[in-house]
Amino acid sequence: MPVLIVKFEGSVLQKVSINGGSITIGRGPDNSIPIDNLAVSNHHAEIRSEEGHLVIQDLDSLNGTFVNNQRVKRSALKHGDVVLIGKHSIQVDEKSQGESPAAVNRPSGSVSSGGVKVAPKVDETFILDTEKRRTMMREIAAAGERSQITSRVRVATLVRVKGPIEKAEYQLTGKLTVIGESEMATVRLRGWFKPKMAAQINRRDDGYYLGRGDRVPKVNGKPISSPTLLSDGDLIDVCGVRLRFTIPE
Amino acid sequence: MELSVASVVRELFNLNAKQMQWDVAACTDTGRLRPMNEDSYRISAEQNLFVLSDGLGGAAKGEVASAMAVEVVVASMREDASAAMPGEFVSRPELTKETNLLVRAVELANREIHEQGMREPACRGMGATIVAARICGRRLSLVHVGDSRAYLFRAGTLQQLTSDHSLVAEQVRHGLISHQQAAVSELQSVLTRALGTEQSVEVDAAEIELFPRDSLLLSSDGLTRMVPEDEIAEILTQAPGVGIAAERLVNRANECGGHDNITVVVIRIKKSFQEWFATFFPWCGANLV
Repeated sequence: MPVLIVKFEGSVLQKVSINGGSITIGRGPDNSIPIDNLAVSNHHAEIRSEEGHLVIQDLDSLNGTFVNNQRVKRSALKHGDVVLIGKHSIQVDEKSQGESPAAVNRPSGSVSSGGVKVAPKVDETFILDTEKRRTMMREIAAAGERSQITSRVRVATLVRVKGPIEKAEYQLTGKLTVIGESEMATVRLRGWFKPKMAAQINRRDDGYYLGRGDRVPKVNGKPISSPTLLSDGDLIDVCGVRLRFTIPE
Repeated sequence: MELSVASVVRELFNLNAKQMQWDVAACTDTGRLRPMNEDSYRISAEQNLFVLSDGLGGAAKGEVASAMAVEVVVASMREDASAAMPGEFVSRPELTKETNLLVRAVELANREIHEQGMREPACRGMGATIVAARICGRRLSLVHVGDSRAYLFRAGTLQQLTSDHSLVAEQVRHGLISHQQAAVSELQSVLTRALGTEQSVEVDAAEIELFPRDSLLLSSDGLTRMVPEDEIAEILTQAPGVGIAAERLVNRANECGGHDNITVVVIRIKKSFQEWFATFFPWCGANLV
């Protein structure tokens, strides 16, 4: 069943299936594809299926109907053709399957998520300008303060409970904290036959995850089987060192 | 689909070899829905430098922006690594010189893309993400802007080394939504930072130590939005080489829908000579690895 894909400035507005009948396009609300734009006539064009072929007929519109950038009065349409009416384009897709006959309307207006209002969703990536971004960041930060959930943006600390390590406390500011004998390790293990990289902690958006290295660390006495999200007060055991994970509330 | 494989072997018999040896493969594909590929990547073997950029589809000329991003970064790193920093560049004391150079290269790319956008009406408002990695000795310098990511695959664990500059990531960081909610959010496409959209940009930088057998994955969001992380980890575990890993990641993203352009760069740190040595003579090699 052929489908007409109506687009405006790159985003899909509507998909319309042609089911034998005819489809009218125009500014008037009685059209099957209404386009609210002054460049479009009230009854601008009509697309019909004639003996299995799609045909477009311009209904004496003021600004014309274009197929692949050629102005047409009447023209057959094939797969891939692009019809231009005003600033809207209609792409012919004859290979589409399983599309429901009902028109699929994209949401319009603004959607709200987490208290943040943004423009309607589009498939394309877009960037917020400075002003919009500042406003949004403020809103997110404010929402974070209000919510009961602990804000994860805070920096965690490892506190030594026992074992041969240099410092009493380690701030986990980096994306990756290595516990091991390596001279570049954040938490540097001392002594003979310690692994270069015994365990590692990955700081992610939603918190700190402990993962294995050359050893399998324990969290609260249990060996981990996969990266484990740490919570405040957790005890980590690795290579004879015990550390307490603390994150400010 | 494009595939390139390069391999660098250096100072094999130097026990004090500081530069990590690595294998790399990259793969890029348009995906199943987009009309063209707006991703770009560059590998500069002699500089141990890997750069990936995703042109922003909503903006005009995303492919121009991403190509400029990778070119400018590679050229500026090659040009003059010892040149004095331009006046406006403030180097960060907590980072090494190598990482500061990479940050500066990305800031330069931002400025050039922005200026091109101002000059050429067709390019107005174009933008791109970037993720760039450079291996210096045992240290990895990593910088990024936008939602292209870097992962470290080590000891069977996939760890994300970058934080997306996107609205949903911001919401996750503030504890408003979960990781899982973010993955299905309608707002995934909203970026809070990108190259080229403004005169200056804040670049995130990180430094980590590399170990033999680590793998590093740079990818555009065409991979990470389509393929769950445990599947990425599985592919990296099972693929015998970097070329196969890169190809399988892209194929998997297409099987999952291929909604966007997909680009991956897979780097694998080779097992060092010292480590081979340690395997056979553990009593004297343990501290060399």
